[in-house]
Parts: sequence; C-alpha cells; structure tokens
Amino acid sequence: MADTINQATRKGFLVDTSRCIGCRSCQVACKQWNKLEADKTSNKGTFENPRDLTPALYNRIKFIEKETTGGISWLFFNERCMHCGDAGCMKVCPSPGALFRTKEGIVAFNKDKCISCKYCVSACPFNIPRYGTDDKVSKCNLCTDRISGGMTPACAKACPTETLKYGVRSTLIATAKAAKKTLYGESDLNGLGVVYALEGPPERYGLPEKPSIPMSIFIWKDVIKPLGILGFWGSIGAMLLHYVTIGPKKIEDEEGGGHE
Amino acid sequence: MSNYIERFSTSERVLHWIVTASFFTLLLSGLGLYSRLFTGYFTFFGGGQNAILVHKIGGVIFFFSSLYMYVNHKKDISTFDQDDKEWVSQQGGYLSRKAAHFNIGKYNPGQKLFALYIAAATAVLGISGVFIWMPLLFPRWIVQISLLSHGLMFVGSIMFVIVHVYLATIGNPGTIDAMLYGDVKKNWAKKHHPKWYKQTTGDNQ
Repeated sequence: MADTINQATRKGFLVDTSRCIGCRSCQVACKQWNKLEADKTSNKGTFENPRDLTPALYNRIKFIEKETTGGISWLFFNERCMHCGDAGCMKVCPSPGALFRTKEGIVAFNKDKCISCKYCVSACPFNIPRYGTDDKVSKCNLCTDRISGGMTPACAKACPTETLKYGVRSTLIATAKAAKKTLYGESDLNGLGVVYALEGPPERYGLPEKPSIPMSIFIWKDVIKPLGILGFWGSIGAMLLHYVTIGPKKIEDEEGGGHE
Repeated sequence: MSNYIERFSTSERVLHWIVTASFFTLLLSGLGLYSRLFTGYFTFFGGGQNAILVHKIGGVIFFFSSLYMYVNHKKDISTFDQDDKEWVSQQGGYLSRKAAHFNIGKYNPGQKLFALYIAAATAVLGISGVFIWMPLLFPRWIVQISLLSHGLMFVGSIMFVIVHVYLATIGNPGTIDAMLYGDVKKNWAKKHHPKWYKQTTGDNQ
C-alpha cells in the first residue's frame, strides 16, 4: 500500500501513565476543540466516565480499579487511536482517502469519503473506531487541524501533569528510555504513534501484549485477496488453454452421424 | 418428429437468469469492496455507499433465488451413482481429445459438484453477509471470520462460474440452448446425458 511513514520525522505521543491523575482534562479539551456533543452516561459505581469510547469521545481515561487495604488504588490509562505505523483500519478501508496518513504520520479520517462499510471496526487491533448516527467513522485524529499548523493537540495542551507529551516520536522515545521507562508500542505494528510508559504489564490495562492486526483480517487481505485475483485469471487462462489444446466436445451432425 | 427435447422448463430458466443477474450485480458492486485495486467499479453505482446498497439488495435476491434453485434440484444433484464414478475417474473425458462415452443422467458429477458448491457458498455468503451488513450488532470475532469467509467463498464461486460459463457455451456446443429456449438437440442429449435421454423419451436406441 502507498502507506509510507518517515520514522525520523514521525510525530506522536508519549503517555507516561505514572503522571496521570485522572482529571480528564484531555477528554474535555478534545470535546471542545473537535466540537463533539456530550454523551449521556450513567453511574455504574465507578469513577470511570464514560465507560467506553463513543462516536463523540475520541479519547478517555480508563480507570483500572484495584481494592487495597482500606481503600482503592487506580491505574489511569489514556485510551484512544494508537495511530499504528501499520494500521489495520487503513489496510481494509475500501474508500481511498477515508482513512489516510498525514505527513506527521498520523492516521486521520475524512467523513465525506467514508462509505460506512465499517471494515475498520473489525480490523483495528485496539477496537477504537466508532460509528455514530451519521454512520461515518470517528476516532482520534490527533487534532490534525491543529498539528498541521504547528500547534499541540488539544488533549496534550490541556494535560496539567504532562502525562500526554506530543512531539517528534523518536525524540520522545529516546527521552523516556533515558529515564529508564519501559515502553509499550515502540516497535509493534511498525511502531504505534502513541507510545506508553505503563506502570504494569499491558494485560493489566486490557492491552494485548503484542498488538497485531487480527489474524482473520490478515488472511482475508494478504492471502485470500491476492490468491483470488490469481485464481480468477488462472481460471480464465485455463479455460482458454483447454479450448485451444483439447477443444470443445462437438456433437455429431444428424446427417454425418450415420452410425445408428 | 422433432429433433429437440425439453431440458429446462420456463420457470427453471427464469430462475436461473435471476440468479445469474444477481450474481453479476454482486460481482460488480462487490469488486470495489474486495480490493482498492477495483475502486473504479464503485463509479458504476455512483460511489461506494451506493455500491454497498446495491450489494445488499443483490445479496438478498441472490440468496433466496439461489437457495430456491438448490431446493428444486436437491435430489438430482446430491446423489452419485456408479456411472458418475466412471465419469470422475476419466475426468469426464475433458482432458483428452479422444471421444469418451459415459452413461450420465440429467447432470454429470461436475455439474452436481458445481451446484453443491454454489448452494454451500450461498449459505455461507448469505449468513456472513448479514454479519458484515450489521457489524456493530455482533462480536468483533464473528464479523472478522465473516469477512474472511465471504472473500473465500466468493473466490471459489467466481472460479467455478468461469468454468461453468465455459463448459455451458463454447466448451460444449449446443449446451446453452438448454438455458435459452429450454430445448436441446436430441443428439446433444444422447451424447452428454444418455441415461437422462432414455428416461425422458423412452427411446432405447
């Protein structure tokens, strides 16, 4: 695919979860900048709110609650599109330009070009894309309109603890490594655009240990699709070859048959 | 005395061409969904969203008409006799120029296999199609498996259809008559389906 990515200049996030205080400024700033409607939620006995991404919620803080002696401890996780270097959504999207890579290396979307097939929902390694009442894809686009003008994405701008750091991806990774952080997403899927410094194993955050494009999607797009095209032309070729080598089964003429 | 005998009734022929028309509608509207190599085919329908709509309508028509065709022919296509085995062991005589004679009934094993495959494909394509149609209502793994099997069964179908069209037209002159006017030449019937010819005409020559 024409999905090339310049790892040296690629922009991205470094999310240091140990700094997050769960204030959700990122959620609010995102809604405000991207003009997203408020979602009606309900109290399910946890501080986490909303409980899932929605078509109008591009990023959220996931609260991983753990009961401790005399209280509760949390892990906070900023859930959003990871802007994969090898993006499953872009791999399956049949409508050119609906999901596209910006020059910063971000996976952005264009609702006008989305044809509502929802293949991206099935292909995402992290189950991120959502479809709303407009029946069009929605997810974090890393405030493409801001970063293309040299600004910081709204969530990172609003983050008071510098949990969300936006910048040149390789620099962010180098800095985090120098600070002896263990990183998630540095090289999986050709590098995630959002790299995490987690406080525990990925499973505790509900993340796959080694994220990858779902196997069925890989077989569909990288095995069946090319073999199918080969099979189509192969069948036509085989029939033509049969016709000129062995030839058709002709029936004897009534007159010429004469063997009755 | 007529030189022709009836092979397919009017309703059988009409049903066959409904299946055919919906199949090719599905092919054209689905190509752009199969690969971005074929995005251009969306323009036939005025864009991808319309192509998807046409694909859904075509899918419903194909599913029910093809299923109905299978039910009508279930008995003829799902039993194989000793003469069929003989046909299979010599590949129906298709791999040699030497004239081969087989005592074949209304359908030969190749035709039966094709019909059975299309019946199975209709079921798989139809069921997976429902999951792909409304992916948000089902667990992701079901939709993922559906996308895979939809593509796989389509590939098998198009390959089988290419062979089917070849054998029914230039590969076996006189065969297409059965699907156009319904009647085939007696000589054609004696050559390709002698057992069926004897059963229908009572002619033992």
